Amino acid sequence: MIVCENLQRSFRGPAGEINALAGVSLSIGRGEFVVIKGPSGCGKSTLLLTLGGMQRPASGRLRFDDCDLYEIPASRRNRIRATKIGFVFQLFHLIPYLTVRENILAGLPPNEAAAQPLARVDELIDLLGLRPRAGLRPGTLSVGERQRTALARALVKQPALILADEPTGNLDPHNAAEVFRFLGAYQREGGTVVVVTHGQDAAPYATQTLHMAEGRLGPPQPGPPRAQSNAPTPPFSNNS
Amino acid sequence: MSLISLLAREVRHHWINAILGTLGLAIAVALLVTVQMTTAAAERETRRVMRDLGFNLRIIPRSTDMDHFWTHGFSDQTMSEQTVRTLADQHGVFLSFNHLTPTLEGRIEAGGRPALLTGVGETLVGPGEAKQPMGFRLKPGQVFLGSAIAGRLKAKRGEGIQLGGREFKIERVLAESGTDDEVRIYGALSDVQRLLGAPGRINEIKAVDCLCLTADQDPLGKLRAVLEQTLPEARVLQLRTLADARAKQRQMATRYAQFAVPIVLLAGAAWLALLAWLNVRERRVEIGLWRALGHSTSRIAVLFLGKAMALGLVGAVAGFVLGTGIALRAGPELFQVTAKSLRGDPTLLLWALVLTPSFAALATLLPTLRAIAQDPSEVLRAD
Repeated sequence: MIVCENLQRSFRGPAGEINALAGVSLSIGRGEFVVIKGPSGCGKSTLLLTLGGMQRPASGRLRFDDCDLYEIPASRRNRIRATKIGFVFQLFHLIPYLTVRENILAGLPPNEAAAQPLARVDELIDLLGLRPRAGLRPGTLSVGERQRTALARALVKQPALILADEPTGNLDPHNAAEVFRFLGAYQREGGTVVVVTHGQDAAPYATQTLHMAEGRLGPPQPGPPRAQSNAPTPPFSNNS
Repeated sequence: MSLISLLAREVRHHWINAILGTLGLAIAVALLVTVQMTTAAAERETRRVMRDLGFNLRIIPRSTDMDHFWTHGFSDQTMSEQTVRTLADQHGVFLSFNHLTPTLEGRIEAGGRPALLTGVGETLVGPGEAKQPMGFRLKPGQVFLGSAIAGRLKAKRGEGIQLGGREFKIERVLAESGTDDEVRIYGALSDVQRLLGAPGRINEIKAVDCLCLTADQDPLGKLRAVLEQTLPEARVLQLRTLADARAKQRQMATRYAQFAVPIVLLAGAAWLALLAWLNVRERRVEIGLWRALGHSTSRIAVLFLGKAMALGLVGAVAGFVLGTGIALRAGPELFQVTAKSLRGDPTLLLWALVLTPSFAALATLLPTLRAIAQDPSEVLRAD
């Protein structure tokens, strides 16, 4: 699904040049659950944003399905992001002036408001236990509820790929486990997940774990046998 | 979700921010409207006050004996009353001369002592001008008396006075002026022509110099050149000190307007740009998020520009009302001569409605595009 070859990207920081991506190559197949680990500032988030078509690498190639993501026009890249890629961030990044339901709706591709996606919004609200909060704004939610809303926003378009950047970094263990349970369920339905995380909660779901340091990836480590999850099996059929 | 729906929700949620933004725009517009209105009023006031200094040009027959003229104060020669119409009908005359007033002046006896008698005809102003004509407007049978003459004759306003065997009504007794007006009697031109035995004749056209050039810019040379072409049988004299003071004052008023309006315009523009920049900066994460959700650059820009334009429209109307109110309230204190001329200017509202949203959008566009172009990793990434 994703093939990266020799991705390079550097930034100018206070302490000089930082090599966020120093020749990263990797391959991610459809239906994988990839966990990327590494110390802060090693380039994990940069890699994730690059995989999502958000950050052009200085050099190297990135193939997403059948197209070179940074060779196609920006409008097509936007369309791919809008329909096939869902992002989940550590700081949730919910739109503060929209309710939970509207934030989830905002995850749909622009101008898509057909009956089926709207039904899916309600389905996700129920599935993620957000029904009592559906009409509230993010400022009144607990952190767990915020992250579940962000998760629902990423899932509502039934993406082929979910990119999650420290999705449990601000959550307590219970909520963190919940998030991974949902991501695991989504992956079992055929979706692809790439997660950047420090914790061990994602380990049971990982099909491969990558360690990153100073912009470089170590050799992939295969994940454990597929863990059994107690999560409900949501209708996560995706846009593959 | 539609852009309008998003925009409305954002404004409602950040209502304090929206009010402050609108208030900022309204104050900037109000400042501009107030300055524009008061500057125009100041220019008008200056013109009126300077005009009230009186005529500063004297057009007399070329054949005038100048020794007689300077010793008596009027020309010994006359020209046809039609000369003033001939001059006024010449193309472009009113670019150099205005308030053309035919007069006939001579000496008479009043109360056994010499007095000056001046007949004043209809004043001609430039075509299409709404200017109030300078000088006195007297109807036949009416006279204005200088204060010394009135004192000598013990005459009061409303009484009658005999001149040349005819009865005239004293319409006004002039205040002390410290000039030869003290011993002057003003009457209608037709009456004075009869009294001086010169029907249909005048010996001077009084006028105001429109060039408004200071002495160093040689206004007299230019005026003489114009008159040479339009009325060669006449010569023009300039009351130089008066004309120079008038020119300097009007030039100063114009220079001040040219200085003040752009300064306020720039200050308003900088203010709006700052507000726009702060708003966009506060919403950088949101911009990054919309990008992550696959929204195009243009759609994100429209979301921000739409808000700027909506606030701009409200700010324009509020600013116009506020600025006009301030100018109308302060105006009569500041501009006592032309206070009645101060009124709301609908063209300023039109300009405000066009320029404020446009500028607000432009000021928002640059920081928005910059934020969109910004590396999303700076605002979205966790590490």
